[in-house]
Amino acid sequence: MPVTRKSLAILIATLAASGIWLGTSWGDGGPVPTFAPVAHKTTANECAACHMAYPAGLLPARSWTRMMHELENHFGEDASLSPEETVAITRYLTDNAADSPRANERSRRIAIGIAPGDAPQRFSETAYFRYLHDEVPAGVWKRAKIASRANCIACHTRAESSSFAEREIRIPKN
Amino acid sequence: MKFTLACLAACCLLAAPTHADTPQQILGLYQQQAGSASAAHGEAFFHAQVARDGKTHSCASCHTDNPRAIGKTRANKAIEPLAPVANRERLTDPAKVEKWFKRNCKDVLARECTAQEKADFVAFLLSVK
Repeated sequence: MPVTRKSLAILIATLAASGIWLGTSWGDGGPVPTFAPVAHKTTANECAACHMAYPAGLLPARSWTRMMHELENHFGEDASLSPEETVAITRYLTDNAADSPRANERSRRIAIGIAPGDAPQRFSETAYFRYLHDEVPAGVWKRAKIASRANCIACHTRAESSSFAEREIRIPKN
Repeated sequence: MKFTLACLAACCLLAAPTHADTPQQILGLYQQQAGSASAAHGEAFFHAQVARDGKTHSCASCHTDNPRAIGKTRANKAIEPLAPVANRERLTDPAKVEKWFKRNCKDVLARECTAQEKADFVAFLLSVK
């Protein structure tokens, strides 16, 4: 078959289309390779004193506002901060929340899956998290090295850098 | 010229940050509030087990029994040693010391710590060699 302009055009169009498809595929967990890591020093320092500094793009602004109001009982522990720190951290988290104008595509997917009246306090309670983890059997969550759905780093080896690519997942055997 | 340099040096000295307290100075602050400080009482306080809501709480649950050791938060994050002998940053920032007393006393004792408890505990940490 001679290479005609028409067949070339079809080939190019097909490649372009497949490129778009790959770009939006769920192979790596979503169209954007990562969440924006926490870029505010006080937020990073204070949150990471006890746990991974979860990216602001994991929850909508109303979730962060509620959490920052309830720091005296933060999942059963007192995590209270000075009024100045509380204001600064709340501002960073809400400015970069999943429903903020700065949110990336993945964060927007998290936000649209949450009912307007809900202000979830755990990312693991969102529809987006459940959808992406629905193939994980119940028993896996109970393994000692995982123990909690908040323990991202147990399986997502680069979670501390806000990277959750599928190829980086290593599920502990026990 | 010399005068300008001297002025500059004086300005630098005046502008130097004052937050770098020593553990000894922090002990002094609490001792002043409490009137006294006992390392032995502080050690007992550190190891005390408090029963509440069917669970036992203690400093050691997260910090381990050894103040020279690295502890672990409930969320699996490392906690640098409590004793200044093992962690040079410990007890050098009064605001940080107060922040963690407030949080952890509430978590372990369900109340704030007294000035006496704080003074005793800091004295204990400083006695660890």
